[in-house]
Amino acid sequence: MNYAMALDYQNCINCKACEVACKEENGVQLGADKQRIWVGVVEGTIFGKPFANLYPSQCNHCIDAPCVSVCPTNASHFAEGGIVKVDPHKCILCKGCMEACPYDARFVDDTMVAVDKCTFCDHRSLEAGGTTACQATCPTKVRLFGDLDDENSDLVKLLKTKRFFFQKEYTNTLPKLFYILPDDEAYAKQSVSHDTIIHTWEDIKPLYEEAKNRRSKEWKK
Amino acid sequence: MEKITFAGLEINKISIFGLLFNKTMLLGYFFMALAMVGIYEIFDVRYFSAAANAHASGLNPTDPALKEAMRLAVFGDVGEVNRNIPWTLFIVNYMYMIYTGSGVIFIVALAELMGFHVIAKAAAGFMAVGLSMVFAGLFTIATDLNMLNMLWMVLTPNISAGMWLMLPLYCTYIPFVLFEIYLLLTNKREWAKRLALPILVLSIGVDLVEYYIQAKLFSMNTARHLWTEFPFLTFYFIISAFVSSLGVMGIYSYLVHKNKEEYNELMDLIRKAMLFFVSILALYEVFGYMTVDKDWSFLILFGPFKPIYFGGYILLTLALPFFFIFKPGKSFYTLLASVCVVIGGFVGRYIFVYGGNANPMSNRFGLGYEKYDFYALEKSFNYVAPHLGEILIVVGSLGVIVIVYKLFDSILSVSDFREHH
Repeated sequence: MNYAMALDYQNCINCKACEVACKEENGVQLGADKQRIWVGVVEGTIFGKPFANLYPSQCNHCIDAPCVSVCPTNASHFAEGGIVKVDPHKCILCKGCMEACPYDARFVDDTMVAVDKCTFCDHRSLEAGGTTACQATCPTKVRLFGDLDDENSDLVKLLKTKRFFFQKEYTNTLPKLFYILPDDEAYAKQSVSHDTIIHTWEDIKPLYEEAKNRRSKEWKK
Repeated sequence: MEKITFAGLEINKISIFGLLFNKTMLLGYFFMALAMVGIYEIFDVRYFSAAANAHASGLNPTDPALKEAMRLAVFGDVGEVNRNIPWTLFIVNYMYMIYTGSGVIFIVALAELMGFHVIAKAAAGFMAVGLSMVFAGLFTIATDLNMLNMLWMVLTPNISAGMWLMLPLYCTYIPFVLFEIYLLLTNKREWAKRLALPILVLSIGVDLVEYYIQAKLFSMNTARHLWTEFPFLTFYFIISAFVSSLGVMGIYSYLVHKNKEEYNELMDLIRKAMLFFVSILALYEVFGYMTVDKDWSFLILFGPFKPIYFGGYILLTLALPFFFIFKPGKSFYTLLASVCVVIGGFVGRYIFVYGGNANPMSNRFGLGYEKYDFYALEKSFNYVAPHLGEILIVVGSLGVIVIVYKLFDSILSVSDFREHH
């Protein structure tokens, strides 16, 4: 198992149903700053023509997660399927993981006095085909959760047919949120920067497989 | 004063009242009282503030605490730690105290090794001050961490994490420094002669390891480019720490040794060393930011940190001290320079910690600004003013220095000049 998620972000309508579902499903602390998932908004103009891009985001569950490396007590760890989790009972609140995360995906849950983050809803029987609350709630099917190891999964089938990119790929953390590039060239151009690297499944698969083999020994059952 | 000899140490026979209730200790208690108010404030926010999760409204919708938690969630700042600025004034003070304190110890060990006789004579006092600062740093960080879970540092250690390496480091470092002070105080000449060189070399080694681990701790935060791209971070920490350490030594010498005949010689030596390290630090500051990610460089050199960087740091740590100590003169100018670098050094740490967090992580993707949600204000940099509790703890940590040093001095007379080796 190597869990990941594809985000067909051109479908996002910023309804925030995913954010609400996440809070309800996982009992996330109340507060605008206390989010496991969020929708990034980019507004701008090109030659006077306004545009708004929406990038749903959350923890990227990186294969080489820097947050896990810096944690002094192993409170941050890899769970089954490479899901990056935090054990709140072991967290000493050093906040090193919050500093190390390139995606600002972590926050302090004051009800537990510990760092909290997305768990890919791993309590929802993922092995038996369950999925995340955000995917289950999304009305426009932006999110698709799945197993990168399963060639027949909907996720891998989608990645085989689309081009995609990663946020902040230059940090070399091997993130597992795959942003699906829109088919419409004009829309695609306005939603990525000039130095964004566009990938296909064929070119990225060996890299991710090698990384998984290297790190999966640390994944707890 | 009457003395008791124990394991070669000459211990002053002092009454409990005299030990705990003198003017210096009362000053220390005053600072500690401030720290206690701060700790109360911080713990109140951390452990007892109104916070609720999404399930609470379903379980007990009429709970008044839930009402307050929801009010804070909608209209206020929830909790102690801001997502954008995880490390705050606690880390600034921790860094400052630990680096400066161990810098004093490092410099004294180095001076002994290089044969600076006057420093060697005052070494026990300097080392006691350095160690007191280390304790002040540890006191600060202990209030920042959730100590209730600290047992896991031992039960499930991540031994490659810079943060974890701090634990064995201090467990080794502090006894080591205490042993050094013991050797200095006992005047066991034969043993001292035999052990002096290996102990000093080892102590410098331990100091270097300490700075290396501190640098590793920051360098592991790969997302914060100010910390990871600053060239030779270990050496930057050492050089900048030495500057403020020499400032502490200058102020300490004025307070403790000003009526002794070696005072001017001591201050002149501090002046020369400070001039050397201020010059190296100036070179670092000129070239350092050329190699750091431009987003961070611009924030500090030309952005919102510009006034405090140039007006607070460059002026106090580099320009004014250089002006005061460039030419040999009265010891008073060295004292002025010392005060400047002690304040400027703290400002430098402040800029380093807050600057590292200043560039929003979400500001580096796609076109334009990407924000978390509708409620977050758009701005080009992150800054959250320190909580009053933090400020009180940081000011109060001075009390730790005063109390620990005074206890050393009352019992062991560390401020006396001693012939060593």
